[in-house]
Amino acid sequence: MRVAVLSLSSCLGCQYVLLSMEEYFYTFIGENAIPYAPFLLDQKELPEVDLLLLEGTVRHGDDFRRLREARQKADKLVALGTCACFGGVPGLADLLTEERMMRMRYGEGAVIEGAPQGVKRLLPVDAYVSVDAFLPGCPPPEDLLQGFLKLALSGTLPSRLGATVCSECGVTSPPRTREGLRRLLSSVPEAGKCLLEQGFICMGPLTRDGCNALCPSSYGVPCGGCRGPCDEALLPPFQDLKGETLRRMERATGERKEVLEREIKDTAHSFFRYCLAEPLLRRRRPGGTATLLRRLGGEGRR
Amino acid sequence: MADLVIDPVTRISGNASIRLVRDEGGSPGEARLQAFGYRGFDLFARGSHVDNLVTLVSRICGGDSVFHQVAAARAVEAALGIEVPAAAGLLRELCMWGQLLERHAVSLTVHSLPDLLLPSSDPGLRNIISIHRVDEEVVRRFMALKSLGTLVLREAGGRAVHAVNVLPGGVVRPMGEERRSRLAEKLGEARSLLVETARLIKLLLRRNEEVVESLGEETSPCLALRSEGEMGLLGGRAVLFEEGAGERANLSLEELQASIEERNSPHSHIRVAEIREVGSVRVGPLARVNVYGGYGSELADAELEELKTQWGFPFRRSMLAHAARILEMIHAWEMITRLLRASPGEGSRATASPGGGAGTGAVEAPEGMLVYGLELDAEGTVKTLSITAPLQFNVGALERCLLAGARSAGEGPEGDRRAAVLLETAARSFAPCIPCALH
Ligand code: SF4
Ligand code: SF4
Repeated sequence: MRVAVLSLSSCLGCQYVLLSMEEYFYTFIGENAIPYAPFLLDQKELPEVDLLLLEGTVRHGDDFRRLREARQKADKLVALGTCACFGGVPGLADLLTEERMMRMRYGEGAVIEGAPQGVKRLLPVDAYVSVDAFLPGCPPPEDLLQGFLKLALSGTLPSRLGATVCSECGVTSPPRTREGLRRLLSSVPEAGKCLLEQGFICMGPLTRDGCNALCPSSYGVPCGGCRGPCDEALLPPFQDLKGETLRRMERATGERKEVLEREIKDTAHSFFRYCLAEPLLRRRRPGGTATLLRRLGGEGRR
Repeated sequence: MADLVIDPVTRISGNASIRLVRDEGGSPGEARLQAFGYRGFDLFARGSHVDNLVTLVSRICGGDSVFHQVAAARAVEAALGIEVPAAAGLLRELCMWGQLLERHAVSLTVHSLPDLLLPSSDPGLRNIISIHRVDEEVVRRFMALKSLGTLVLREAGGRAVHAVNVLPGGVVRPMGEERRSRLAEKLGEARSLLVETARLIKLLLRRNEEVVESLGEETSPCLALRSEGEMGLLGGRAVLFEEGAGERANLSLEELQASIEERNSPHSHIRVAEIREVGSVRVGPLARVNVYGGYGSELADAELEELKTQWGFPFRRSMLAHAARILEMIHAWEMITRLLRASPGEGSRATASPGGGAGTGAVEAPEGMLVYGLELDAEGTVKTLSITAPLQFNVGALERCLLAGARSAGEGPEGDRRAAVLLETAARSFAPCIPCALH
């Protein structure tokens, strides 16, 4: 197959995974033609390809043009990584208006020659063009990417459906401590026990599986949600990531939901760290996006 | 005469273009590196609890993720007065050497080696994928160094990209004996490969001497962190070295942060960082070797001596950064070996109560100094955050190097063709990291 790799505004972490697949990397470049991948080769124009792996988000007009061209020239377009699938961490920029962000960075009325028009709001790439397959993960683990590519290159695009991080997590239930909300800065969780039940904000119950629950299970740090929301959260009736997590924490810690809610000041960073830009999560809010953002402590964008 | 535009610049980290602006007579007047799309990490991190800060800033750059993590963690630790257990410091260092090895291997072999190896062949062939088609073995050997760095990072940091082991206060968990010995075993094999690669890079630089020289000489002061006479990977003091004047300044991290001045570029979203009363400085592998004069590890220093006799010292030619990269890879390998042999020590993380305060965290990232300035409010949430990335310091020197390359390329269509090649070669010698600079 002819495969291209393209990054919009991104951290390039997903491309690093591509280079980290060890033996399979050589199979990948040996069995396929890679006519376009600016990170690796000098081809400046995107040719027609069978498959295009797209990393990152649309930040401005130039990104948008690149994305549109990618859609036109690729038979199959894959959103690679949580940025492309759900907006990722960069999507938190939606907490500020674009205008304010640029003003704070470059000063009032700054003129920068050649700068493309910025987008008013960050969105996953499927808000702009149709996407044939999604492989979220920040970045997607090597084995997932490898498995995905094997299937995709044999002509079958893997589907999006899956379970949650909790389903892969090897922890057990701790005895009820009822200490209320806990943060890593000031307390050390008990190893091998469920972090949410210990009072930490763990997004495992609402996060897509596929990472073997590395963070909670092997390292004892709460899941931040880097593989993005699970299907249940994205399909009607849409789940409220924050409300749902707080409900579970209430049950586990014995602390009232309202108290927890008051205590957690950084709701966007805690509950929507990788998916604030995902429109499906905003849809269930009366008043839509602006209401959601305001409730998360941001200024919102129209 | 029309400007010469290279868009996109390929084989670098991130999206950027180069514009060569010509004056009325048609000769190169100005060379620009242009990149757009500021991402606002420093602004949207405001309001975040410190628990979430490290995972946020990691996403600024996959290739430098551990450096962002540690710089942010150091800033938190400085703000809250947290003492990191020695063992955790060593494990962080291991992660950083691993990522430095990986990152240099990518910029040196994936991005720049094809230019040195096949300077006059078709651009379509100047990449590791095409080289792999004709000589599989050579690509595998180069990539083995990248894989080694990745492995160190994966074992010490939990993941190869966006490690999970770094937290304010230390690390989540120590590295088990099994992992340490698995790594130590792998390391031994790399020695000969590193020495061979160094030999090859030195040879190729000499063979491409004309190109090396056509990119001009850079004499702006060099800035690097130094700790106990060695590379201050995790901090230390900022030393400013100027040829002829020697050590011009020696600053604490707080003084360093206070003397950084950022200004807008008229043609790019990358803000330019300079040092007050000094102006433009250079950071990164080349600046570091000029500041330290040596690495403090046997193999790397032996290689360095040879280079000093060949090219003179301090190094002024920007392309010699490639030599500095392979020397740092050797040094990293020696440091990783040293760290794995040393007793791992006790303790992994210190906790603290949330509180207000301000702190600076600075690290030597692969392409130069990365500075975090942080203010926390009483509840342990981020009040303000400032980030200065290596390319923001280097962009001045990079653009001067581009201009020198363009001027040496000559005129007419043949000159344009030469310029197009030289300009990208020049940019790659700085291994510019666009995602970091557009944080
Ligand atoms: S999904 Fe994560 S690893 Fe991939 S580009 Fe985005 S921030 Fe980087
Ligand atoms: S630690 Fe997190 S991911 Fe694991 S079971 Fe508990 S809530 Fe789920």
